Amino acid sequence: MAQPLLEIKNLNVAFETSRGDIRPVRDASLTIYPGQTVALVGESGCGKSVTAMSILRLIPSPPGKVLGGQINFSGRDLLALSEKEMRSVRGKDIAMIFQEPMTSLNPVYTIGDQIVEAITLHQGVGSRKAYEIAEQSLRDVGIADPHRRLHSYPHEMSGGMRQRVMIAMALSCQPKLLIADEPTTALDVTIQAQILELLRKLQRERGMAILLITHDLGVVAENADVVAVMYASRIVEVATVERLFDKPMHPYTEGLFRSVPKLGADVQRLDTIAGTVPNPARFPSGCKFHPRCHRSHQLAASAPAEQVVEIASSGQKLKVLKRCTVDEPIAREIEPKHWAACHQITGYDSAALTMTSLMHKREVNANVIESDSRDAGKVIQEAVT
Amino acid sequence: MKGEAASTNMSQSATDFEAMVAGGAAAPVAAAGEPQERFVSEPSYMPPQPDEPVRRTLLMQAFVDTFTRRGARLGAAWIAIVVFFAVFAPFLASSFPVAMQMRDGRWLFPLFRNLYPIDVVLVAVFFSVLGIALSRRLGLGASVMAVVAMSALVTLLAFWLTNPPKNIVYEEYRVQQAAGEITRAYHTLIPYSANDRMNDRPEDRLQAPSRVHWLGTTIFGEDMLSRMIHACRVALTIGLIATGISALIGIIVGGVMGYFAGTIDLMGMRILEIIQSIPRLILLLIITASFGRSIYLMMIVIGLVSWTGDARFIRAEFLKLRKQDFVQAGIAAGLPLRSILFKHMLPNGIAPVLVDASFGIAGAILLESTLSFLGLGLAPEDPSWGQLLNQARSGGTGFNWWIATFPGMAIFLTVFAYILIGEAMRDALDPKLLKRD
Repeated sequence: MAQPLLEIKNLNVAFETSRGDIRPVRDASLTIYPGQTVALVGESGCGKSVTAMSILRLIPSPPGKVLGGQINFSGRDLLALSEKEMRSVRGKDIAMIFQEPMTSLNPVYTIGDQIVEAITLHQGVGSRKAYEIAEQSLRDVGIADPHRRLHSYPHEMSGGMRQRVMIAMALSCQPKLLIADEPTTALDVTIQAQILELLRKLQRERGMAILLITHDLGVVAENADVVAVMYASRIVEVATVERLFDKPMHPYTEGLFRSVPKLGADVQRLDTIAGTVPNPARFPSGCKFHPRCHRSHQLAASAPAEQVVEIASSGQKLKVLKRCTVDEPIAREIEPKHWAACHQITGYDSAALTMTSLMHKREVNANVIESDSRDAGKVIQEAVT
Repeated sequence: MKGEAASTNMSQSATDFEAMVAGGAAAPVAAAGEPQERFVSEPSYMPPQPDEPVRRTLLMQAFVDTFTRRGARLGAAWIAIVVFFAVFAPFLASSFPVAMQMRDGRWLFPLFRNLYPIDVVLVAVFFSVLGIALSRRLGLGASVMAVVAMSALVTLLAFWLTNPPKNIVYEEYRVQQAAGEITRAYHTLIPYSANDRMNDRPEDRLQAPSRVHWLGTTIFGEDMLSRMIHACRVALTIGLIATGISALIGIIVGGVMGYFAGTIDLMGMRILEIIQSIPRLILLLIITASFGRSIYLMMIVIGLVSWTGDARFIRAEFLKLRKQDFVQAGIAAGLPLRSILFKHMLPNGIAPVLVDASFGIAGAILLESTLSFLGLGLAPEDPSWGQLLNQARSGGTGFNWWIATFPGMAIFLTVFAYILIGEAMRDALDPKLLKRD
């Protein structure tokens, strides 16, 4: 069995504020194997970006601090490295691309200068050689006329082009892990598809792992091998992408899937998850999802009175199971290769507390998709003629 | 290698821009026709082609915008005149003839024998800067390197070549000419040195403007115009060096405060407030009183106490910039702190300091004039506009209007020119005013 590339164990992050600590990430555990794409899914403010930032130790400190846990990368605990050692990991072993390509490039330098700076720093090559590598990496991400583009300023490029440049910059040093923090959120839909296709292609060619942070389930379905769902600072469900989409266990995951529009389904209104995302400064007690949890509400309706409590949530009185408000569930391996954190799943209490580690690679790869689409094109052509 | 194989595919489709944009990474894979060496043998890095449209960085664009404004042009024109006078002062106003023929037929060139190394260096640097700027063949970095190298070489040569006499007798040649020992002499435009006290013509002291002395003479008999021309050097250097020192300190201190924020920022701001509360004029008076008069000391002291404004500006910019995505991306790429602070953040936040610096130069010139007017500035033999102003009221001869007016005008115009440039630069950098056409 291959060694995991990145292993996050029980990561806890806190932000000190004048009104007490905020805990955006609690006991997060995640494993990424070489060549794998792991998607971290969740609403805004659930802690997914903080988790990603703490891998590179980019959390501003103060106010942020890591309370505990381990981040093992190729056998080294990143949290124990000195700032100088960390600098040689950043960009070289682990690269990151950001959500907003319009502002992620320095406006006063040409893109060539910016790519070359990282290359000369991490690969110790001269500037002439670095320009060659930079040109090659621009070509790899599909930028036309890379030789001239090296001398362009960021404001001369479109958003999609800039995101390609960001990817070229991130990949120019051949990192083993790429953290993509909502890489397509700021782009329009056709460009999104191109950028994701590009990431898949580069991953196939280089065998690097990707931690994909997103709230777009379509992106997850297309790209991820393993999915981790995060809600209010905790990872609530981990499974392979096929399994998660097939059989979501956690009520929050179920809610997410219900709120995605489906082709062919005739509905007036899309389902939503009732209530609002809890404020990290005032998380609910017990399971943090209980004020919005339909499963708890339904079970409470038929449960004996001593097991039910009434809570006030966004101005409404709701009945929920008492256990959900007291006892916070932790993700357990309920079925083989499927972890979830909910008391109300059958078999939760007897399930084992194991490390969430999945060496899974999705079956579908882009070659199949390409040949499929070629066949489809042929079919259409035949139909036309 | 996978990368190389991919590059060949990409190279063929790279010509087809449409396909690249539409298809991105999934661009159609062309049949393997072109040899793979095509991209290996081709020199991969060349400077931008001359036919490309002119690309300017934001700072260069701001610079161009600044000097398309009329105020800045007027200011720059005046500064250019002052620079010209400063560089060519000994060739414009000197008691020594440029060339002269003795009675025995020998030709002598006393002006060149009396040059100081600094005179030669200034002229040489002036022409090398002008030449490099006009030829436009070198890039910015190469130009700076060329000028620095040229200056160093010329400085060495100048010390070797020039050998001015220790005891200078300014009236020497006038006396010889009057005695008929010199048959022919060609003088500079103003035939008086700045420190020529006309010992042979005591009646020339304290004369109002006339055809002999265009702007009159001082109480010691020195020619006003000559003295004002030579004073341009002090006016320029005191402003530039004092402001340079203050900008350097301000950028480093402000940058560190803004980037690290938190406790460092808090402590830094308190130190800054303490320094800001020191009365500058009184500090300078105390220092000149205890360490003697020196233009260099004055520049350093002005620089050391006036960096607080620059530090505040840079701190505010850096506080804003440190949260920007490209700074975060730089940290995530593992760039060292020095590069993030000074290569990536500074050019994005320097604009307000540039504006402040042009006001700072004006302030430093005024401060020097003030000190010299109070008689605590430069030594009496060093020409300075403020020191000339001082003579307008001293000597017990009442108010000598020509001694007050001309240096006063020069100070006023120079300060005004720098302020005009500063205003134009502020307008050019103000995003609210950017939408003009």
